[in-house]
Formats: sequence, structure tokens, C-alpha cells
Amino acid sequence: MNFYAPFTLPFIIGTIILFIVLAWKYVSWFVALTHEDKRLVAKGVPSLATLRSVWEVVRESLLHVRIFRIDPRLGYMHMSLALGWFLLIAVGWIETMAYMGFAPVPLQGHVFFKYFAAQGVVTEHKPYFDFVMDLLLAFVLSGVALAWFKRFSSRSLGMRRATKHTTGDRLAMSFLWFIFPLRLVAESITVALYGGGSFLTGSCGSLLASIFGERLLSYAFEPAWWLYSIALGGFFVAMPFSRYMHIFTEIPLIFLRNYRLRPREEKGAIDYFEVQSCSRCGICIDPCQLQADLGIHDVQSVYFLRDRRYNMLKQSVANNCLMCGRCEAVCPVGINLNTLRLNSRALMRNIPNERRYGYFRDIDRSEGSGKVGYFAGCMTLLTPRTMSAMERIFEAVGDQVWWADRQGSVCCGRPLKLSGETDSAHKMMEFNRSLFHKHGITTLVTSCPICLKTFKEDYALEHIEVLHHSEYIERLIASGRLVLERGDVRYAYHDPCELGRGGGIYDAPRTVIEAVGELAEAEHNRRNALCCGSSLANTAITDGQQLKLASRVTDELEATGAATIVTSCPLCKKALQRTAKGGVRDLAEVVAEALPRK
Amino acid sequence: MASVNFGFGISKPRVIDIDRNNLRKSDEILLEMPELQTCIGCGSCTASCTAGNLTSFNFRKVHALVRRGEYAGAYEEMNKCMLCGKCRLLCPRGINTRGVVMLIKRKLGDF
Repeated sequence: MNFYAPFTLPFIIGTIILFIVLAWKYVSWFVALTHEDKRLVAKGVPSLATLRSVWEVVRESLLHVRIFRIDPRLGYMHMSLALGWFLLIAVGWIETMAYMGFAPVPLQGHVFFKYFAAQGVVTEHKPYFDFVMDLLLAFVLSGVALAWFKRFSSRSLGMRRATKHTTGDRLAMSFLWFIFPLRLVAESITVALYGGGSFLTGSCGSLLASIFGERLLSYAFEPAWWLYSIALGGFFVAMPFSRYMHIFTEIPLIFLRNYRLRPREEKGAIDYFEVQSCSRCGICIDPCQLQADLGIHDVQSVYFLRDRRYNMLKQSVANNCLMCGRCEAVCPVGINLNTLRLNSRALMRNIPNERRYGYFRDIDRSEGSGKVGYFAGCMTLLTPRTMSAMERIFEAVGDQVWWADRQGSVCCGRPLKLSGETDSAHKMMEFNRSLFHKHGITTLVTSCPICLKTFKEDYALEHIEVLHHSEYIERLIASGRLVLERGDVRYAYHDPCELGRGGGIYDAPRTVIEAVGELAEAEHNRRNALCCGSSLANTAITDGQQLKLASRVTDELEATGAATIVTSCPLCKKALQRTAKGGVRDLAEVVAEALPRK
Repeated sequence: MASVNFGFGISKPRVIDIDRNNLRKSDEILLEMPELQTCIGCGSCTASCTAGNLTSFNFRKVHALVRRGEYAGAYEEMNKCMLCGKCRLLCPRGINTRGVVMLIKRKLGDF
């Protein structure tokens, strides 16, 4: 059988360009990986991680399970396009093989088989193949229809706001949307002229024949296949430069992630995989409080990644983010959005080798001695009630405590890290690390989740266990060392971002609250909790905007009917106090109040 | 007659001449952070400052000098800031002080 026809040229050229660009991208990214990362890949390939990755590719790149969990309608739309198209290709391939055996067939022979085999041999399984292919085409077309519909009314597909795309993306998207309707037209005309087809192409074919007549259709036959080929070729050329690069980037990313490759605080080659895996689906837009409450529409993760990918990232966009992690929690690709934003900031603002913070050298204002160290953190120093409550708790259980910074000391370094000045942040981390080691503590308790996160992730403390005060108190209660009098007050708990999504600590503060009173949950809680708005990560929004964010949070917490709001972060406490009608307390305060009176 | 060294002398006058100072950077800073015009110089920022607790760093003073075109040493002073953000919580005018620190460093340093 002859598999060459002029109309296949746009498709062939598009495919060649696609594969050249893909090969170039893959090779240059892999080569640029750090030595350590390459070692991880070499170690990971012959392990179970590879099998896990294959399964994850099926689940996420084809079935889109995570999007289904967010919204089934949205999940169906993504699945019908990805799985449907994949199966069309796979079944098409099998169909060719059923006709041709294992004879070599060029690529366009598989893709345009309906054209080439129109007058060919008819085997006994042709009706079955026609039916399956029609079914799959209908499946994909339903997805295209939904995608089209979503452009007009994203709300009906579970998204309040859809991504605002660039011109390039719109072009690529138009090509994609035309591929399948054009395929339907081309196949229907072929069926009308030469027979075959099933419920979809067959009935479309007879419909077209009855309207236009066979003579007219025979004129349209070649042009229809030309248009289909042009749509395919155009899409393939646009693909690696547009959002659709995610189709080919997500697959290696899943493998690399299972081999434990992660983006770091400085830019690296793994970032290319992460950034270009973003499909700009826009699921990150709705959870963003800057968007929902402040009407800021150009800083969300989808736009940040887009700007970064095309080298047009501005500081104003990079800095305008609370890093609350609400987008990261829903991202269906699981991109490390916060880390990427951090290393973008570092690239813009980090000043290596500058002689700063020389004044740290001889500072040691710590007091007391003991195996338990308490690091209040800058923010707790601003909420002294938390610290005195902690003092009473320590006294009640009789723990000897080393107070790291009651008289003021050096910051934990996370604020500078969040603003991109990584090298300066490391100077503080080194200072505090050696201070902790010098005083020989074995447990480090902090009441600030911001400090907690950096102690856990950046400090690499040896033989020192880092605990948030909620965990510490929970342990004291569990071991029976701390006896509390349970009251009947209802407390609404606010999850701090750095503690919850940032540190995965949701249950400890809740257990503690239930030991002293009744716990009330806000509408958005745990992984879905709202940010208080005063996050240190954002240096762009104004005071008024922070207030607006805080008032939404306190409204929600007060809607539970609880008289008092409890949180376990001094910064959240300060932020919520400004808009709360009732009291805002730290967890330590309500615990200290429930201590039995002597 | 040779002057006798009594061990003390007349200190140099500290006059800030805004007509002579180059206010271009100051204006640029004000343009990006217009809220700085609302600063009443209360000094809450300095009172709460983590770095100010450990050194002579004085945010209120550095900001005032920069605004008047006295840039000498301002960048080095600002580099003592740890960006912890307490000042922002205390500022009675709600000025985004952390943003101001970053802005001054960007305008006066080699960012």
C-alpha cells in the first residue's frame, strides 16, 4: 500500500520540528542537571521508583486522578482529551497492524490510515475497529466541546476563574481544538465516498452526502484531509513553545520526582522540568486569596511560572505572593511552587559573599540552662503573653529551660530567605545553629511556626529534636506530666500556613485545644485553611490589603460561634487581632489558663 | 602663634541642605512607596527592631536621612536589618517597612 500523499506534508514537517525541539530540550536539561541529581537518577532507574513512576504517569498524565478529586467535570475534560487522544493513537496503531501485519508503516501511514485504506482491503474485524475508533473520537470530541464551553463559562466546570492565556497559547489551543472536528469531517467524507464507518463517522457521512451530494463531497475529500494535516502540524510546531509542552515534560518530571530530585533554594536544571510541566490549567487561581479578596490577577502561580519560563518575570510579580501554599496544595501536577518562587527571588536579590552581619560574632544573650531550649522568635517577642504562658507551662512541669532569646537575639533567617537573600539568611542559620549546639540542648521548642520550618528544613541540627510548642504541650498532656482543667469554652482554631501546609502539623494543636475546651472548625481548615494575610513572604501588598485578608479570616472563624479565636503562630495572632471582634489567643495562653490553681 | 591643642574642638556643623542634596534616588523611592509620606517619625520601628536591639541600627534615622538625600552609609546600615517584620506590625501608619528596607537596598546598593 502506498503511504505517501502531498497532504501529509504539514503533519510530517510539524512532527519533525516537534521532535527536534523536544530532543534539544531534553538533552540540554539532562546535561545541565547537577552531579548529585544525575547520581540520584542513575540510582533510581533500576529501582521500584521506576515502576511507581509508570503507574503515576498512567494515573496523572492520562487519567488525571488529581483533577477528578478537585472537580469531576474538570477531571473528565482533561481525561477525555489526554486518554482519548492516547487511545486513538494506540488503537489506530493496532488497527494498522491488524491490516498490514508487522510490515513497516511510516508514521503518517498510522495517523492517516483511514485515508490510505479507504479503498483497501476489508477484513472481518473492520466494523469493530470502526466502532472503537468512532467511540474514542466521540470521547475526545466531548472533551473539546467541554474545553470550548469552559472558555465561555468556566464556572459551570467548577472554576470561578480560568487562566488568561497569551496569544501564543491561544494559537496553539485553536490548533488543538480544530484537530478533532477536522478529523471527524475528513473521516466522514471518506466514509460517505467509500463506505465503512460506524455510529459517528457513518451517520455524519450519510448526513453530509444527503446535504451536499457525492460529487461535491469528492471535491472536498482532499482539502478536508489537508486541513486536518495542517491542524496537526500547526499544533506540533506550537506545542514545545506553548503551554502544551507540559504533555511531554510532566512524564519525565514524574520519574525524576520519584528519583527524589527536587528544586532547591538556588536555580537548577530540575527547575526546567517543573516550570515547563505547568499546563496553565488555572486551578491555582481560585484558591489564591490575593485574587479572591484583593482582586490582584497577575501574580498567581500560573502567571508566575509563565513569566519565569519566558524570561519576563518582574520583581513585583515574584514578590507579590503570601507563599501560603494554597496553590501548591491543589496543583494537579504537584509543582513545588513555593520553592520555585523562592529561587526566583534569590536570583533577583541574593548578594553572595557580602560582608554583612559581622555584628553577630559575640552575641549570646541566652539565659538559664537545661536540656530543653526555648526559642521565642522575633514575633513571639512581640507577643509577650505567649512567652510568659510558656514560662508558666515549663514551671508547671518542672522542665529546666534554656532561654535562647528572651533578651533578644538573632532572627532565625527565614524572613531573609523568603525575600531571596539566601546567603544572608545562611549567616543567621549558622549563628543560631552554633548557639544551640554550644548550650547542649536536646530539645528545641519554638512557638513560632516560621522559625520551626526553617529549623527543620535548613538547620540540620544534630541530636536536637525540634518541636513546635503545640507538639511539646501535646506530649506533656499525653505523658500525664501536664494536668489541665477542661472548661466549656469554645475555641475556633486558625491553622497557620507555615505550621499546617508548611509543616504538616494539624492535629497537635487540635488535641491540645480539646484538652482545655471545645474545638470549633472554620469553613476552610487544615490543608485548605486561609492565610491571615500578614505573611512575611509578601513584601508587596499594603497594610489595607493585609487587613482585608485578615477580616475574611476572622469573619469565617467568628461564624463558628466561638467566642475566642486560637492560633499557634504569633504573627497570625497579631494579624487576626486587628479585625477580630472577640479575643485572639495563642495556644500556650489558653493552656496556661487551664493550669490548676495552686 | 601655634594653636594650642586643648583636646577638643568645634564639631562640623550637621546641616542637611536639601537644595544641594541630590534627591533623585529619594524621589524614586517615594514614587514606589508613596505611603512613606505618611511617616510621622514616631520610632516604633526602631523601638521594636531586632537588629536595633543588638547594634546601633536605627531604621527611623536611616529612612529620614535617605529621604533627605543623605545616602552615605545608608546601604551598609540597611544591611544590618534582618527583615523579621516586627516594625511592620507596629507601624501606626501601616507602612510596609519591610518593603521599604528592600527598596532602599535596591535603590542604593548594587541590585
